[in-house]
Order: sequence, then C-alpha cells, then structure tokens
Amino acid sequence: MKKLYRYLSPLLILALLLGSVSVSAAPVATGSGLVTTQAALSAERTDADRERIQEILSRADVQEQLIAQGVDLAEVDARVAALSDEEARQMADQLEQLPAGASAVGALLLVFVILLVTDILGLTNVFPFTR
Amino acid sequence: MSGRRFRQLLNARLAGVLLLALLTLSGCAATPRLAETTVQTLPRQVVIEGVPFHAQRDYQCGPASLAMVLNHEGVDVDVDALIPQVFIPGREGSVQPEMLAAVRRHGHVPFVLDNSFDALLTEIAAGHPVVVMQNLSLPAWPMWHYAVAIGYDLDAEEMILHSGEEAERSESFRRFDATWARSDRWAFVALKPGELPNGVSEQRALDAIATFEQAQSAEAALPAWVAFVERFPHSGMGYFALGNARHATGDHEGAVEAFRSSVAQRDDLGVAWLNLGLTLQAQGETNEARQALERAASLPGHWQTHATAALERL
Repeated sequence: MKKLYRYLSPLLILALLLGSVSVSAAPVATGSGLVTTQAALSAERTDADRERIQEILSRADVQEQLIAQGVDLAEVDARVAALSDEEARQMADQLEQLPAGASAVGALLLVFVILLVTDILGLTNVFPFTR
Repeated sequence: MSGRRFRQLLNARLAGVLLLALLTLSGCAATPRLAETTVQTLPRQVVIEGVPFHAQRDYQCGPASLAMVLNHEGVDVDVDALIPQVFIPGREGSVQPEMLAAVRRHGHVPFVLDNSFDALLTEIAAGHPVVVMQNLSLPAWPMWHYAVAIGYDLDAEEMILHSGEEAERSESFRRFDATWARSDRWAFVALKPGELPNGVSEQRALDAIATFEQAQSAEAALPAWVAFVERFPHSGMGYFALGNARHATGDHEGAVEAFRSSVAQRDDLGVAWLNLGLTLQAQGETNEARQALERAASLPGHWQTHATAALERL
C-alpha cells in the first residue's frame, strides 16, 4: 500500500499542478497546426516531452518560491511568464543561491578592515571614500 | 620572557600570512587586456550621451539600472513601476533571470554578452548602454551590484558608469574588472527588436529572440527575425522562425517563401518541410504540399510522426 502511495502521490501532485498552473509551457503547435519555433528549438536539444513536463513543474515552483519570498501575488504570473525555459529552471533549482544585486554587505568589524584594505588595493569597491 | 617572544613570533607570522594573502589577491587583479583587433577598431574615448540617471534607493540597483537602459531606448517607465517587476523582498535584491525577463516585458530583447571586456567595450562603442553585474566586495562577503556602463576611456584606462548614487562615475579598468570578474563578467544590453549586438553568436541570438517571442508575440518579434536572417543568411532555423512569425501575423505567402529559404539552407530540417507542407496545404496547393510533407516524413527525428500523420490527412 505504501509503495502504491509512493508512485501515486507524484502523479497526483503533477495532475493538480497541471490543472492549477496558470502559466503553462508554450504550445507545441499553433491553431493552424504549424510547429512553433520554440518547440522546434527545444526538440533540437533534448527529449522534448520530458522537458515540457519539467518546465511546467519548474515554472510552478518558481511561482511558489517568489510568493514565499514576498513578491506581490498580482505580479507573480507576469514575472514567471517572461522567463525563458532555461531561466525558469535555473530559478526553480537555485533561487537561494543566485546572486541578488542589492549593493549591501553584512557588516562585521573584521570584514570591514579587510575590505578597507582590499578597497585601497583596488580589488574591491565597497567604500566610496577610498577612491 | 619566552611567552612574550612566542607571541611576537606568532604576530609576525600572522602578519606575514595576511600580507601574502593580500599579495596573492592583488596578483589576480590586473588591468584587463583587450584583443589587438578590438583596440584597433574601437574609438579611444566613448561616452553615450543622454542615458538618464536614476539614483538607487535601498536595495534597488536592479530596477534603477533597468530604468536607465529602458528609458534610453525610449521606453516610458520609472523605477517605481519596475520594483514590483524584479525586486524579491525575501532576497532584498534582484536576480539575473528576472532582470532579463523584465526587459522582455517592456518590449525589448535582452542579449547577454560574451563574458569579455572586448564585448563590453564594443557594445558601448555601438551606442548601447550595458547593464553589468559586479561583486563590489570579496567572494566571501559578496556585495552584488548592478550598474550601467555608459562609456570608457582607453587612454586613461577608465570605465564610466551610472552606478548606485553616482552618475558618470569613473572607475579604473583594473578595479572595475576585478569586481566585474566576480560575476563571471555578466552583462546584457536591451535592444529594440530588429537590432542585434555586434559579435553575438548565432545560437545565442536565436535563443534570445525565441524567448522574447514566447514572452511577447510573433508580431513583436517579426523585425528581430528579419534582422536575424540578414545577419545569419545561412541559418535554416532563422528562416524557419521568420516563416512562423510571418504565418502567425497572417502573411502566409511570406511564410511559404521563408520556409523555402529555410530548407534551401538546411535540406535536412524536417520541421521546416513540415510547416512548409502544412502552409501550402492550407493554401490549397495540394501537390506541392504533398511533396514537402513526403520529404518531412522521410527525415528521421522528432517530427517524423507529425509529418506522417499530416500526409495521411492530406
């Protein structure tokens, strides 16, 4: 029984996600039946079907993470929709590790002294007065 | 006595280690070298005129940098409107993929440049302000920062940047490159559809425009595809994409022409034969459609089954 659940639950999660995600992957074909450029490009690379599922999952994941990080609900959809497949995957996998441009540094005295010296050496640019 | 001596020795050793560490560090940072061809072709001094400056507030160097490049491109958007589009409160900053995504939302194509000093200066010389990501601090205590490079001076070896709270700040090549290298020299330009960076590779441009098209529309991307096949006239994939964009905007004859150019460049591009066949079929050119679909069905690959099915429906 437990084994059954183990196989069943990912499928259920997937089914729920596919139903609820408002941003889905770009369609393979247009209304006229032509294959889209994006589908052709991703098919050139890898196993396209697996990647499509992966992409939908990672976009949902990014949405969730952004909301958890305090991004406005009204903005999340549009923000995720403007990402490329690769960017969405990158964000889903490592949002915590991605460098976030903010120009702020944790203030510690030792760090302060080291950075002061490296600033003077021209290796860093933390303190404006060293220039 | 011996205790004091020992401490002195320890202090001396510590100082030595620190000195050595600093020397090694400074050894890594040298004035960046440019390729000979770049030096010969670039003007000695460039400052792009009329790039508006927005001073950053709090942690908003991302939105501020975006506003500067987008305003320069003629997009009417201010920092306050961009903050909810890229800022992540939990991270107190903005991440690279979302900087690119925001450019797309404002109708421009973001191109990440080759990670080189040459590519950066070349784009500035072409009149495109470049958003750069720097780590102003050391890798152990990062201080990630976005700035806009708007000029350089080869003789004075200085970059000119709109950065933080300072407009047109001069920064020595050496210091700039030391801080920029910590982001693997990440930089991008935001261009109108139809413009391409100078040294951009075919694959990179293809991906950038295809992503832009997915986020915006075929209509918005059409000028970019036209420029792409002009720059890369032997790209089968480029003509294929152009054909799709034309088809989506209702230009079916133009689409057929582009698909034909595509297979002329790459006879083995099954997906282009397939779309050519489908477009011809819709135009009532059954014989020609059949020829194209037969060719598509004969090519092994992902689209073979689609082509076979289309052939059966014909």
